[in-house]
Amino acid sequence: MESDTKYKRLKDLSREEFILPGTTVCGGCGGLEALRLFHKVLGKNVVFVNAAGCFTLLALFPYSPFRGSWLYTNMASAPAGAQGVRDALDILIASGRLKPEDDMKVVVLAGDGSTYDMALSSTSGAIFRDLDFYYFCYDNEAYGNTGMQMSSASPYGSMTTTSKPAHLSTAGTRSHKKDIFEIWRAHKPPYIATISPRHPVDLSEKVSRSMQYKGPKLFIAFSPCPTGWMYDPSLTVKIARLAVDTGIWALKEAINGEVKHTYIPSKFKPVEEYLMTQGRFNHLFYPVRQDKILEDIREDINSYWEQYKK
Amino acid sequence: MMIRIRFHGRGGHGIKTASRIAGTAASMEGFNVQDFPLYGAERRGAPLTAYTRISDGTIFERGIISSPDIVIIADDSLIEDPMADPLNGADTNTIIIINTNRPHDISEGLAARGRVFLIDATEISMSVIGKGSAISAAMGAAACRVTGLINKATVEKAVVKELTSIGISSEEIIRKNVEVAGTCFDSLPSFEIITRAETSQLLTKTIVLPYEAPAISTPNVIASGNIIERKTGKWRTFRPVINYDKCNHCWICFVWCPDGVISLDDKEFPHIDYDHCKGCLICYEECPIKAITVERESSSNEQ
Ligand SMILES: Cc1ncc(C[n+]2csc(CCOP(=O)(O)OP(=O)(O)O)c2C)c(N)n1
Ligand code: SF4
Ligand code: SF4
Ligand code: SF4
Repeated sequence: MESDTKYKRLKDLSREEFILPGTTVCGGCGGLEALRLFHKVLGKNVVFVNAAGCFTLLALFPYSPFRGSWLYTNMASAPAGAQGVRDALDILIASGRLKPEDDMKVVVLAGDGSTYDMALSSTSGAIFRDLDFYYFCYDNEAYGNTGMQMSSASPYGSMTTTSKPAHLSTAGTRSHKKDIFEIWRAHKPPYIATISPRHPVDLSEKVSRSMQYKGPKLFIAFSPCPTGWMYDPSLTVKIARLAVDTGIWALKEAINGEVKHTYIPSKFKPVEEYLMTQGRFNHLFYPVRQDKILEDIREDINSYWEQYKK
Repeated sequence: MMIRIRFHGRGGHGIKTASRIAGTAASMEGFNVQDFPLYGAERRGAPLTAYTRISDGTIFERGIISSPDIVIIADDSLIEDPMADPLNGADTNTIIIINTNRPHDISEGLAARGRVFLIDATEISMSVIGKGSAISAAMGAAACRVTGLINKATVEKAVVKELTSIGISSEEIIRKNVEVAGTCFDSLPSFEIITRAETSQLLTKTIVLPYEAPAISTPNVIASGNIIERKTGKWRTFRPVINYDKCNHCWICFVWCPDGVISLDDKEFPHIDYDHCKGCLICYEECPIKAITVERESSSNEQ
């Protein structure tokens, strides 16, 4: 895609930090890596409305890592909280108590348990009301904060603490990841994108491009999680890259409903290369190789990309 | 007879599993046991505690162990960490086992505290397994040994059982962990532990909290970025070190450090803030020309 933003290479990223270090999230957290890059584009004037999850540990009383503001909500209602904050800012501006140039961007910050499951109803409501906000979902594919229970974002074939592989269910997670992108798209918001911390220029371009639209702007960030996915924290970036290169994580955006892939690998790598990096897929290879399940996973990837081949 | 063991580690050390290994091994030997972890609101790298009680009778005691017979410290940086406070409640009868590679710095100050033993479980794990971060087998075996109640063969069985139950399926990795457990077991003496009286934790008075206005009673931080006061640098077992003769200031480590602890100077050279670097080693893994090397944390590289 032709770049309509200032982001063309790594050195176009901002050197300023908006999330200061000292937070209690795990070393090597892919979600934090994505959020840090996302925040660099949005700049300082941000209010996070944070659904309960790992990232509520970012602000740990009496400390905050943010240079902007932060508000905690329960898992189901961050988008409703965002509506309240947006309304309050609008009223302050309209009554002259806040200068328009001091306005803040309202950002929902939520995990996949919140995004795909519990907050779906309040998100649907917020998009329907055309709330002017950003939604940042760090998708670590399970309920991380409470110990990696299965969510509807957990991929088929992965082990979570509530979908362990057993004799009758060798796949671990038997259900397939919910297509939240399409659920959001059916609501017709102006902007939706998937992003990955391994592709910072693509990520920055998308955030930057989305800023010109008023209304709901939604981001799903691929968020490798060393603790829950069971891999060495140093491999976060490698795993994020493999997810894109094997076709498991499609980088795309939908502007006013029109879907466009922003990066398509010229040749897809075998999906095993991705799966074998993580303990949560161990049971697909040891003690016996689960060929049928691996075939299902390949089939899912192929049929996804098939629909976009012209 | 009751033995109370308290384990201190950081998320990722496998301290919860260590407490389970001790509990399972003692159970296999016919004792009644309890084991449980205590997490704060923190994650991998942050201090956490786990507990094991072993008794030949029914265990009525509940809750955390405040007067331990045995304290296992999986990382020497925890000794001075006020959040962990691993020596709290330990007296001169308490057996204290510390995983460390700097024996001189440690034993001087601690000699008076109790019966202190130092082992370098990280080194043992690195030489056998090739990795030194998860040391559950080593710490569990050390605890079992000093109780004087548990056989080496039983500890090895417990290691296999517990590692299998957390999803480790590689036979080779399990075998190597058994080897590490055996080495740690053999490197420590065994003791006869004198049981302490049960500690009563009953409160006799109800604490009444007066009403406060929400501005006071709700957590409200009016500060920007003050988390920088918290130093997460102690989380590291290994530290990344930049070789400035090689570095070609490509920005890669700066871009991918999740915690944003690498900054660039005027000449675009990266600098690591060691007070906060958590030691995830993404920068080391990603540097395209290997201008970053890894060193084990020790007193000599502390500034
Ligand atoms: C309504 C509600 N149910 C349960 C919880 C307990 N809880 C807190 S965090 C969390 C997990 C959230 O998972 P996810 O949204 O995927 O975010 P992650 O923890 O992975 O960052 C749960 C279940 C809650 N806070 N609110
Ligand atoms: S559990 Fe995973 S998502 Fe949560 S803080 Fe740790 S690495 Fe990040
Ligand atoms: S090890 Fe490297 S990437 Fe990880 S926190 Fe430290 S400086 Fe950042
Ligand atoms: S990644 Fe390596 S070469 Fe690039 S700036 Fe960092 S240390 Fe230097």
